[in-house]
Amino acid sequence: MELAVAEQRFAGMTCAEAAELAPAFVLGALGAAEADAVRSHLAECPELHAEMAELHSVVPALFEAVEPVAPPAGLKDRILAAAAADLAARRGAAAQPAPVQPVSAQPLPTRPAEVPRRGTDFGSVFRRPIWSAVAIAAALAVVALGVWNVQLRDQLTGLEAYRNDVVKILDAAAQPGAQLAVLTDPTGGRGPSGLAAVAADGSVAMVMRDLKPTTGTQVYEAWLIGADQVPVAIGGFEVGGSGTASFVTTHAAMGEGVVVALTLEPQPGATAPTPPILAVGTAHAQSS
Amino acid sequence: MAYGIAYRITGDRSAAEDVVQDAFLGAWRNAARYAGARGTVRTWLLSIVHHRAIDAVRRRRPTVELPDSESGLPDTLTLPDTWAAVELRLDRAAVQVALGRISDVQREAIELAYFGGFTQTEIADRTGVPLGTVKGRLRLGLQGLRAALLPPNAADGAGRG
Repeated sequence: MELAVAEQRFAGMTCAEAAELAPAFVLGALGAAEADAVRSHLAECPELHAEMAELHSVVPALFEAVEPVAPPAGLKDRILAAAAADLAARRGAAAQPAPVQPVSAQPLPTRPAEVPRRGTDFGSVFRRPIWSAVAIAAALAVVALGVWNVQLRDQLTGLEAYRNDVVKILDAAAQPGAQLAVLTDPTGGRGPSGLAAVAADGSVAMVMRDLKPTTGTQVYEAWLIGADQVPVAIGGFEVGGSGTASFVTTHAAMGEGVVVALTLEPQPGATAPTPPILAVGTAHAQSS
Repeated sequence: MAYGIAYRITGDRSAAEDVVQDAFLGAWRNAARYAGARGTVRTWLLSIVHHRAIDAVRRRRPTVELPDSESGLPDTLTLPDTWAAVELRLDRAAVQVALGRISDVQREAIELAYFGGFTQTEIADRTGVPLGTVKGRLRLGLQGLRAALLPPNAADGAGRG
């Protein structure tokens, strides 16, 4: 069976022919036609091409062979300004004129003329995870400019997890009857921020970033505040060095416009929130 | 690091700057595709920088067949998910040692391919050896690097054909 597969042509190429081109393919040293043929073969062929994977795994090492060169002053600003202009253009293209709440924790560029700090457009956030793209952008810029250390690597690992969780939250908020809350620092500072999806049955999925790690018995506690203005604890979670956390819990539905809030409690089981409220947002339905 | 790679490939500070900015914006616009990519954010971004820089130097050589770079994303993003990666040691010191263990001609072939933007056929022309020899140097060079970068406890199970 394996022999039969190996002898078959996938995308006009046998496994042996693909294997012969493997070193040049992983190094990007094939002409376009040959590279396309290998790519197509890999896409269609059921074989694993283990040697291709082995050779490919070496390629990132070659980056480390490069002598670091200090980037020119101003490059970071140029990159961030270009990213901000791109974001602004996309927001403009989204044409959803209903900003609801500012997202304050995003380290966007600081050129006010080019970077209008508008409120978050839920519509555009919802259609495409631009918001998470913004979150990752500054970290990418730092990497691009050669600053790299263990701390940053941990942050990026956390950011990747955060980013994937954001996508899940947005998916959850897309369900019929679900609401989405953008949680931000109520003081307008650079405190924690995140998203919470409140499903029709009341279950809540939350993802937060820029949280200080918990110590000892500390927990972050999430609260729902309904029309009666009484905060109801819906569960707590601890946070490690990444500063990000995701959290899913179930609770009876509290209707449209429920407020989602986050506090840091000295120990689990709090029945009333301990000030200050670190992040808060009002849930709104995403579909009309 | 990204700027260093762009400069190494383009050999031109201004071009390197453009490449890094271009690559960054590509990453920015395609961040949604990162979730499906294996490896770290860093490798992902550096791969995009490399891809853009190679495109830039190839454009200076009008006789070269340009790869399709519509998406601006390297092949590393489209490889099958079934490939399990053994974690290689990728720290700078280990890589320098590994590069010292492969032959000069193998290292030259890899550098011309990866940082010169030359195809294996062009490398054969430039170095005056048959294409088959270049293929062998690239393969043995990469295999030698891999063997040198495998963590000690993984070396036993790392067979290759």
